[in-house]
Amino acid sequence: MTDSRTRNAKRWDPAPIASTPVVQPLRAVGDFFALTLDTLVAIPRPPYAWREFLLQTWFVARVSLVPTILLAIPFTVLSVFTLNILLVEFGAADSSGTGTALGAVTQIGPLVTVLVVSGAGATAMCADLGARTIREEIDAMRVMGINPVQALVVPRVLAATVVALLLDSLVAVVGVTGGFVFSVFVQNITPGAFAAGMTLLTGLPEVVISLCKAALFGLAASLIACYKGIRVGGGPAGVGNAVNETVVFSFMALFVINVLATAVGVEATM
Amino acid sequence: MNSVSRYRFRRIRQTMVGFADGWNQIGVQTAFYATTVRSIGDAVARYRAETLRLIASMSLGSGALAVIGGTLVIVGFLTLSAGALVAVQGYTLLTGIGTEALTGFVSAYLNVRIIAPLVSGIGMAATIGAGATAQMGAMRINEEIDALEVMGIRSIAYLASTRLLAGVLVVGPLYAVGVLMAFLAARFGTTYIYGQSTGVYDHYFYTFLNPTDLLWSFFSAIMMAIVVMLVHTYYGFTATGGPAGVGEAVGRAVRTSLIAVVLVTLMISLSVYGQAGTFHLSG
Repeated sequence: MTDSRTRNAKRWDPAPIASTPVVQPLRAVGDFFALTLDTLVAIPRPPYAWREFLLQTWFVARVSLVPTILLAIPFTVLSVFTLNILLVEFGAADSSGTGTALGAVTQIGPLVTVLVVSGAGATAMCADLGARTIREEIDAMRVMGINPVQALVVPRVLAATVVALLLDSLVAVVGVTGGFVFSVFVQNITPGAFAAGMTLLTGLPEVVISLCKAALFGLAASLIACYKGIRVGGGPAGVGNAVNETVVFSFMALFVINVLATAVGVEATM
Repeated sequence: MNSVSRYRFRRIRQTMVGFADGWNQIGVQTAFYATTVRSIGDAVARYRAETLRLIASMSLGSGALAVIGGTLVIVGFLTLSAGALVAVQGYTLLTGIGTEALTGFVSAYLNVRIIAPLVSGIGMAATIGAGATAQMGAMRINEEIDALEVMGIRSIAYLASTRLLAGVLVVGPLYAVGVLMAFLAARFGTTYIYGQSTGVYDHYFYTFLNPTDLLWSFFSAIMMAIVVMLVHTYYGFTATGGPAGVGEAVGRAVRTSLIAVVLVTLMISLSVYGQAGTFHLSG
């Protein structure tokens, strides 16, 4: 019995295949989806880590609030400025409000949320989890019978999703206000016409799609951050690289999600 | 025991100390940036091999990022998906008012002025910028930077100035790929997926593609590369607090440089295009 088992182990040894450069990225992708499934399955199951969830929500919100406002204002001013050049040339400066509202709600809101959630929230999460992995705290939790996915990953993922939702509305409000101030006081567009045009193309469906996008971004970015943080190896350099990869991969994932969600949203509302 | 009553107005004092610390931080950062820029000459004269090595590793990336094709592919991919947005949102919106023929114009106008510079800048911050912070932060934690100083190597010139130089040299081809990808994605989406005829698209695209605007957007990409590399080398050079500290430094650096990238684009487009906009619909 034992003989045949050892012979089987000798015959099929997965280690050499696993370390080839072709298979390694595929294994990482599979690993990531395994963690995602684990997390999604663990979300509705007790015990709920309420305390961790509240702490993480507060943490992510605190880290991202100032960058959100600082990013949203120049982003809107830039877009409104470029758009108004066009509209003034067409002789349609009155519809500046329409463009501002559409841009702020459908594109700038989700985009700034992406940048802040992955640049500020996800990096901090990955650094925190990575440091715990390096100090073998995650292994210690497993030894004590605590499921790290349930205790650490689930509250973080939920917290990032909630905060992304809230941030998206903040960006939209800041964006529309910033666009109004810039258009009216700098580019001399009639405030009444600006306000009247705002709801021409942007209604409830656009706002709902924007919020859905933001929630998806928060979910994806935090899953990537948690995966990279838990699978960290190799000391300080490892943590630094993991955070770097978190930023890159979440930006890539989020830009793809943005294009797909925009396409679906445009089909649904037009 | 008397730690509570050592100072009067403890809270006010704390606020003042915090304010002064923040103020000093700005001074320290500025001094670091000045030293980095001043030492570029040293980097060229003494550390040419290191600069060449960094150019190679920045354009192709290192570690897990090299597996998916490095910085070039990542920036190309980001601008590709951003350019696709022009097709998705622009074409549908213009169809609503019956002017879908102008999608080519929207691509030539928005891609050059906003999308390509911003998205390339964001891509640079995430890839070469964050990579530089991670490497230098790890060196600082492992006391390798102190070791460099002990060996008589000018650490700022060797680590920061070489990276600044390499970043500025890499950004040219990087940005060219980014702009091309944005144009290609918009054209592909509009003509192949939404089914507009390529002749109509190309006509409006080439009519409104302004070479001067393209040159200015290249200029803003170079400015962004300088700002991104300066911010990221500073945060890497001053990382503290063990493995977690390196990660936090990367996060802080990404946050700061994202804001800086958007501000640089805004400043340049406000000062170049101005109130008049240098845009002429009817010649």
